[in-house]
Amino acid sequence: MTVEQRTEAPPLAAPPAARRAERPERDPWAGALGRVLREGRPFLRARRGVVVRLAGWSALEFGQTFLGGYGVARALDDGFLAGRPGVGLLWLLVAVAATLPAGAATRGVFGRLADLVEPFRDGLVRRAVARALGDALEGPGEASSGAVSRVTHQSEIARDGWAGTVLALRSFVFTTAGALAGMAALEPRLLLVVLPPVAVGVALFAATLGPMAARQHAYLTADEAYAGYVGQTASALRDIAATGARNEVSATARDLTLRQARAARQLARWSAVRIGATALCGRVPPVVLLFAAPWLLDHGLTGGALVGALTYLTQALAPAVHALMSVLGTAGGRLVVVLDRFTDPVPPPRPDPVPAARAVPRPSGGGAPRHEAELRGVTFAYGPGARPVVDRLDLRVRRGERVAVVGPSGAGKSTLAGLLAAVVAPDEGRVLWSGRPAASVEAASVRTLLPQRAFVFSASLRDNLRYLRPGATDREIAETVGALGLGALVDRVGGLDAPVAPGHLSRGERQLVALGRAHLSAAPLVLLDEATSGLDPVTEARVEDALADRARTLVVIAHRPGSARRADRVVVMDGTHVVCGTPAELPALSPFYRELTGVPGRWPGTGDR
Amino acid sequence: MIPRTWGRRRPVAVIATGLCSAGAAIAAVALPAALGGAVNGVVSGPGIPWAVLWLCAALTAAEVLLDCAATVVGGTTTAGLAARLRTDALDRVLGTGLRNTEPVPPGDLTTRLTANAPDAAAAPVTAAGAVAAVLLPVGGLAGLLLVDVWTALALLAGFPALLLLLRTFARQTSGASADYQAEQAVLAARLTEALEGAATIRAARTGAREYARVLEPLTALGRHGRRTWEVYGRASARSAVLLPLLTALVVAVAGLRLWAGALDVGGLVAASRYAVLAVGIGSLTGALGSLQRSRAAARRLEPLLDLPPVPHRSLELPPDGPGTLELRGVDVVRDGRYLLRDVAFTVPGGTSVAVVGRSGSGKSVLAAVAGRLMDPDAGTVTLDGVPLDGVDPVRLRHAVSFAFARPVLPGTTVEEAISFGVPRPSPGRVRAAAEAASAGFVALLPRGYATPQAKAPLSGGEYQRLGLARAFAHRGRLMILDDATCGLDTVTERRVHRELDGFAGETTRLAVAHRLSVAAGADQVVWLEDGAVRAMGPHGGLWADPDYRAVFRSPDGDGSGPPDGRGTA
Repeated sequence: MTVEQRTEAPPLAAPPAARRAERPERDPWAGALGRVLREGRPFLRARRGVVVRLAGWSALEFGQTFLGGYGVARALDDGFLAGRPGVGLLWLLVAVAATLPAGAATRGVFGRLADLVEPFRDGLVRRAVARALGDALEGPGEASSGAVSRVTHQSEIARDGWAGTVLALRSFVFTTAGALAGMAALEPRLLLVVLPPVAVGVALFAATLGPMAARQHAYLTADEAYAGYVGQTASALRDIAATGARNEVSATARDLTLRQARAARQLARWSAVRIGATALCGRVPPVVLLFAAPWLLDHGLTGGALVGALTYLTQALAPAVHALMSVLGTAGGRLVVVLDRFTDPVPPPRPDPVPAARAVPRPSGGGAPRHEAELRGVTFAYGPGARPVVDRLDLRVRRGERVAVVGPSGAGKSTLAGLLAAVVAPDEGRVLWSGRPAASVEAASVRTLLPQRAFVFSASLRDNLRYLRPGATDREIAETVGALGLGALVDRVGGLDAPVAPGHLSRGERQLVALGRAHLSAAPLVLLDEATSGLDPVTEARVEDALADRARTLVVIAHRPGSARRADRVVVMDGTHVVCGTPAELPALSPFYRELTGVPGRWPGTGDR
Repeated sequence: MIPRTWGRRRPVAVIATGLCSAGAAIAAVALPAALGGAVNGVVSGPGIPWAVLWLCAALTAAEVLLDCAATVVGGTTTAGLAARLRTDALDRVLGTGLRNTEPVPPGDLTTRLTANAPDAAAAPVTAAGAVAAVLLPVGGLAGLLLVDVWTALALLAGFPALLLLLRTFARQTSGASADYQAEQAVLAARLTEALEGAATIRAARTGAREYARVLEPLTALGRHGRRTWEVYGRASARSAVLLPLLTALVVAVAGLRLWAGALDVGGLVAASRYAVLAVGIGSLTGALGSLQRSRAAARRLEPLLDLPPVPHRSLELPPDGPGTLELRGVDVVRDGRYLLRDVAFTVPGGTSVAVVGRSGSGKSVLAAVAGRLMDPDAGTVTLDGVPLDGVDPVRLRHAVSFAFARPVLPGTTVEEAISFGVPRPSPGRVRAAAEAASAGFVALLPRGYATPQAKAPLSGGEYQRLGLARAFAHRGRLMILDDATCGLDTVTERRVHRELDGFAGETTRLAVAHRLSVAAGADQVVWLEDGAVRAMGPHGGLWADPDYRAVFRSPDGDGSGPPDGRGTA
């Protein structure tokens, strides 16, 4: 970790506003600074105590700076120049002694710095995770690709930048105060000479801060645009060669890199202005002091005081100004630009609100509704302008039934599963579970939906299996392991309690873990959305049977025709129509079903898969 | 030893940057002596020492102005050079054969173009900075020696402690940071897992639990983070004491010399300034570090700048040729191993050929060679009698289109993804191609063809069909499908091949296939084994051979399911 990139302003805690894309971007940097500052103030207000303690430790720097120049002045006037070397050395010793607590002070400063920086980083990481999870849970295709970078890389840039800003700013304040107080003590007229160039320099610098950071913003934005495009290009080289789009790609990349170079050149020119401002504060005052020295000496300034003042200017003020201005100037935009990505926090995901009705009672007699799940006149489209994937569909899944859904990919099978599981909300129509609106029932106790991509997290197999039912007993887990044939997998990873890295499991093994989870959950309805695609046909049949035994009602988005043959009823979605029937009826009703399962022998050897 | 990327462009600007930096450093080194002279002149009086005062002003102005000039010239030079390096390197990458870029993974290539190119371009400016970083402390020490030998000796006595400080700082920081980064990686891994499992989490409504689980490492992260600040604080505390101590030591010695009459007040001022310059030696390590980084970056960039362009002559394909594809004596050798050996066959214009064989038999290499995505090591490939390596590679794409098993689809929207390539097809042609490729699902997307790909919930099979649609939209006289229907269900695959059959007489089709149905539907089958043509003929004729039948029973020939997709819509 370095404290190289730094700047301006903190973040944290504010009301969500419009999404980034919809923001008017007239002056992007000013907007970003405004957003960041708005959220930064409450963060600092909540940490007033830390800021005060930080200032307390920094106050020691004031003393060190003060004595650093004052000691030299007195050492010369009362000591070396007065023929008393002992007194001179004593004054220098006083100045050195003042630096010794500075060691402890620096450590104190860094301790308080941690109090200011670590919670800041925590807040950024929390926001990034909440946004990433929120986007991913909103729907497929919504997951932001930059989420992990925001959590690691960008939060670090912000952390280092924030720390650097705090360090440089407080050092500047206390060093400058120490130097000015020292000069006032030596000869108040010194301030008359020194302050004007410093004031002009600070004003000039303040004036450059805005435009400079705007250039930084432009530069970083251009750099990211280029990096994004080149990243895509690098993974598409084969396809670019195959389509002959090389010149077009090259021209686009050149445009982007030239835009970036233009921003970099503007940035360099503004840096020169910044150097000028820094010089006015740091390098010009000693010269001005020397020009004024004859006048000052005439009014009682001693030689030692002159040297002391020069020490203040060159050894204390100039380095502090230089540090502050390079921190604020070079990385000014960077911190604000990065922080701006963390503004407008998304609230973290909340636990599923538990509706009044806890669960659907298991049927005890003939009074219970016959339908486990039901769609009534359900319509769903991906967007307002899109053709509906599911159009005024009525579908009843009877209690204890096994239903298979078949059709070409893209026909809306997964959407159908999502609608039945109340994961996808219909645009029109109703979804009922055991005759009640799905929204009024606690979903986890009614149904389990397994998507094609199984979710296994880095933890023990036991924790993974208990995911949907945290209270499952050892005996229940053993039953599930036995019913699904998970024994071999359990042995391979070293037992139920050995940590499992999802990357070390095959796709089929990950799916088996997820299927075990569904088996262990107490939900009476299980929906498998191609959740067995990584299994061989024999294992697939065994798993489906075990789940049907346990869960009572099973809906399978079929991956192979075998699932359809095992079903009581098959729903065929061929992209335009939805047809429903028993496996025996369907060949007569659906050309797609005929094509899928039958027509053997059209080509030699073309049989069932 | 100087990397070629350094000075080969804009040498004048590079030299100017170096001169400005060096000039500023020299002015900075001369300034303390002038300051000392001015102090002497002012203190001893009686007149005002105008000459030396103006010298101080001039040196200060020179230092500041040269610094500004170095920044502007250096910054603009670096920006221009970086843009040139990026453009040249990317053009080389795009213009060379795929075999040359294959050894560089996409992530690596991106890093070289985005991060390494500016680093390499910054080399001249960094070198100029390094010159200043050497001149300042060396000049400081030299100045000290000239002002008074004893002050220099005092400083040198303190130097070992300074060097020790610089070293311990580097060592201690890395230890604490390693723990910090490890914990950060745990957090990132948990987030990645949770994002991949988003569909499950959404269905199980366990978002709040996942949020807490992902953030669990934050406590440990904060603990390690505090340790890094502690270490950093300790190092800073030491330098906060050591550096003033060193300068005070020099001032003390100078004071004693002043008392002894061997030095004047101005000499003391100069000595104290020179001491500060000399202890700035720490910045030298930083300058050398960035110089090293520039050199390393240049070394990583140079292989890209040396990539040879795809050779071609200025031949043209005959207009309205039937698309007759002929391979003669084609060898492809990689690492001493034959991927293709003496492959020869002719596909008459407008007919279809299926390429079958076990995995590793060279089918995809053959597809790449047949459409000149790759040049063979020996033999020739001709289209309508014209050697493919005689035609401009971009012009060749007007006649040959490709579809892949795992297409990559540049372009922001779905429409751009399909129309990507030369020549740009009309919107009508894009839609017709999508229909032909069974990609009618595009109409179901939130904004139809204008849907951004990033917002389109597409599965692997659906991407494959967009890739097919792209090939259909750019259909010329030859179409090559490299296992481009493997992710489709059998019914959709048959529909796509029926569309392809409709191109008979217009477009020659070469399809690499694992599935029986594709081989059975083709006019001819080329059966590859270990890179050589085992047999060629209609599927019906080859079927009698048990070895041929065995090809379709191999693990990847059973036609099992779509590739690992992103969950179907």
